[in-house]
Amino acid sequence: MKTVIIGANGAGKSTMFYHFNGILKPKEGTVYYDGKPLEYTRDALSDLRNKVSIVVQNPDEQIFSSTVEEDVAFGPLNMSIERDEVERRIVTSLEKVGMLEYRERPTVKLSYGQRKRVALAGALACEPEVLILDEPTAGLDPQMSQEVMELVNELCLAGTTVIISTHDVDLAYTWAEEIHVLRKGKLIYSGSPEPFFANTEEVALSGLVKPHTFSINSTFESLRGRDEAPYPRTNSQLLAKLSTPDAKIGVIRMIPFDKEISEIPQVCGNIGIYGSRTRRAVRESKTRVDYYFNAIEGCCLDAMSGLDSVLVYDIELESLVRDTISVLGKFGKVPEMI
Amino acid sequence: MSEETQMDTLAYSSRMLYWAPLGKLLFCVLVLIANLVTESILVPFITLAIGLSMMAYSTNFKIPFFIAIALLEALAILIIGAGLISISGESGNVLWESHFLWINIYMTDDSFNKAWLVLFRGVAGMAVMMGFATSTPIPHLSQALRQVHLPVEIVELIVLIYRYGFLLLERMEIMYHAAACRMGFNGFLRSIKTTASIGVGIFISSTNMADKAQTALSCRNYKGYFPLYRAPAKTGLKWILFSALVCAAMIIFGLETEGIVNMYELFKGVLF
Repeated sequence: MKTVIIGANGAGKSTMFYHFNGILKPKEGTVYYDGKPLEYTRDALSDLRNKVSIVVQNPDEQIFSSTVEEDVAFGPLNMSIERDEVERRIVTSLEKVGMLEYRERPTVKLSYGQRKRVALAGALACEPEVLILDEPTAGLDPQMSQEVMELVNELCLAGTTVIISTHDVDLAYTWAEEIHVLRKGKLIYSGSPEPFFANTEEVALSGLVKPHTFSINSTFESLRGRDEAPYPRTNSQLLAKLSTPDAKIGVIRMIPFDKEISEIPQVCGNIGIYGSRTRRAVRESKTRVDYYFNAIEGCCLDAMSGLDSVLVYDIELESLVRDTISVLGKFGKVPEMI
Repeated sequence: MSEETQMDTLAYSSRMLYWAPLGKLLFCVLVLIANLVTESILVPFITLAIGLSMMAYSTNFKIPFFIAIALLEALAILIIGAGLISISGESGNVLWESHFLWINIYMTDDSFNKAWLVLFRGVAGMAVMMGFATSTPIPHLSQALRQVHLPVEIVELIVLIYRYGFLLLERMEIMYHAAACRMGFNGFLRSIKTTASIGVGIFISSTNMADKAQTALSCRNYKGYFPLYRAPAKTGLKWILFSALVCAAMIIFGLETEGIVNMYELFKGVLF
């Protein structure tokens, strides 16, 4: 389940997160993990924090060690894990965030975006069951935000429960399966995003705005005198909904990446890549790529415009990629995937 | 990257990074002791040669600008100190005398020689300490301190202060520039006021930072100890023997060469 906690600044998102791993103890009520109430003994909390990792908003608050690998190893070493296993986790987590080549760099030499990735790698190295990301895209440029969100998608697919806090309504609307809205420390809404964003008054009172795609869909359908549902969450879904039945839809050539990246066919149309392994291989081979980030959406938009495109993705993400494209069927025509 | 953090970066790029920090520390301390034990003016030159060799091997003499300025400042203080020693003579032939207020000033051949000895010792000592500092990051030093059974609380405090000291310095730099943008340093009094405000701001920031750091540490299962993944080598017997041997050789050399070089005799005819 992709869960997003949204709320304006000061709504209590971070405070709530710190209840999830026992940093804060609730004055009223009980926090449950895996159906059991939290215990606040030293051992129980240590055990809980091995399972529930939090990546705080500001990486400087989370990075303690002088070098990247030392910081990533901090959590696993605190868990008294064998050195070989710690090494494996360092390599895996740094690979996932694309920072493996920086493993011996001093942390003070990294840019903000790189520090943010190292902070994420530090949490991933603990291999938690639940990963909580406090404003994961805050302070990142759009491309890096996309990269982080793609990584989060991979984690979700691998079975990690991911909870994100944000006040970026577009991000929340596009990504979340379930949202929880906080206002001045109170939970005012839980459920799928559409009913909440349809309620103009609640959105305004919560200090938020409606997502861009949601607003455009509402306006168009209101002008056309049609029902707003189904609600598109991405631009490609919106285009699929608005396109005419006789519109030409492009083809997406699907290439699961499990071999050398030099074998990408240099065909007409844009090339998109998806997945950390593919991205790394492309970086190394310096192959031409048009959609380095947000590639599924890029290829879908091309298809909606009648253009063909190529999508190369990590083979283990095949179901995620196909499912994401197939969602267009709820709104209109689905591009042919060959 | 702020200049304050460059020293740390330099240490991490050192060829001597993974040498036993306690061994390096022991070696440097013994060399410094040998530097002080005898009155030979040649021993500081050996010490200087050791220090410069360490710096050359460690980082090819790379010194951050900020540290170079600090070293020059230390050198200036040493020169002033040596100058004062040279005019505080109590024994030997008087080379020059004067009166300042109620103080009689004498420069004797003994005080002149002593001043040079102190200056050379100081410069040589700085070189050795720089050789150590440019090859040993604080986390490695803290590891060494753990090995000598310094209380863990003190070691962890050193690591934390080291880590957050840089962040506070970076924040101070940001506040300084922000104040300068708003003309906070126009005039002497305003500058003092602004500097004081920055100081207060930094103090408050440090408490906030400590609070957040505590939370972030707890989130990552901190158990009161910063584990090192890639620990430097441990100090073995060879380090102890090597350091003791060098120290003993320097002392013997110093005892044998005491009085061979007399700075007064060298400058005789030039200054006096």
